[in-house]
Amino acid sequence: MIRNLLTATALLAATALPAFAHYPFCTCTAKDGAITCEGGFSDGTSAEGVKLDVISYDEDVLVPAKFDATSKISFPKPDGEFYILFDAGPGHIVEVDYQDVEGLAP
Amino acid sequence: MSAGVARGNAQTRIGRWWQDWRFHLSAVAVIVPILCFPPFYTLAMQASGKAGLGAREASELQVGPFPLKIAEFNTDAPIGQGVAGDRKVFSLALCKGCEDRIRAVYLRVGKPRSIRAAGALFNGPPSRMTTDVQLPGSISVNDGLWVTVEEWDGTVHKGDIAIETASPATAQWLRRKEGSQK
Repeated sequence: MIRNLLTATALLAATALPAFAHYPFCTCTAKDGAITCEGGFSDGTSAEGVKLDVISYDEDVLVPAKFDATSKISFPKPDGEFYILFDAGPGHIVEVDYQDVEGLAP
Repeated sequence: MSAGVARGNAQTRIGRWWQDWRFHLSAVAVIVPILCFPPFYTLAMQASGKAGLGAREASELQVGPFPLKIAEFNTDAPIGQGVAGDRKVFSLALCKGCEDRIRAVYLRVGKPRSIRAAGALFNGPPSRMTTDVQLPGSISVNDGLWVTVEEWDGTVHKGDIAIETASPATAQWLRRKEGSQK
């Protein structure tokens, strides 16, 4: 009886999956004139195929790109002021201003 | 041993005392849930709307033709979510009858540059939508909280409210952060 109860409890506990947040993230670092961005979702999902655009403050798309299988993108650092837009659909965006790129001192 | 109930066969005095006394631990099954009532009801009232939109009185915000109400969900400072950055939850109520015209409502710190970059998308029932906005490192307390409303016909309206008004906790957190960088 006790053993059955314990088994049932263990089964219940195993099926109660914790609710994980699913935040998109995108972190960019600058090194030797190139910027590398790593994207993904906070539950561990890869960002493969997700659109990433580098857009100037005048709204020109400077670098249109997509994340590769390693969930990363590298591109040469554009001149002037720009922001990096991780775009996995409405509401699933991350904007990285050039001032927030690690290694690019404002 | 009392009432003829066998409670074990402990030999020592302390062992017998434990066998008789441990029954009182069952009271824990009642006491612990009772202690959990206040935080549970606080959260339930926030989530169900009984405590208004959030932890404080909601602020009015006019975005184009739509009078909206916005509030911070709780009075805590933004929470660090690792790689996803520092985040803060806001809730919003649409005006009565507006829900048929509104396609989406977005929230962002600082003025959005385009509809693609309008920020976090509100979701939930029209009288109580919530979203979780990221606060990037480069923002300042003067940037303002911008709400973008997109109508079904594609019309876009923008409106802003001071961070200080919508969320004093976030404003304080930002000022402390700016202070420590100087």
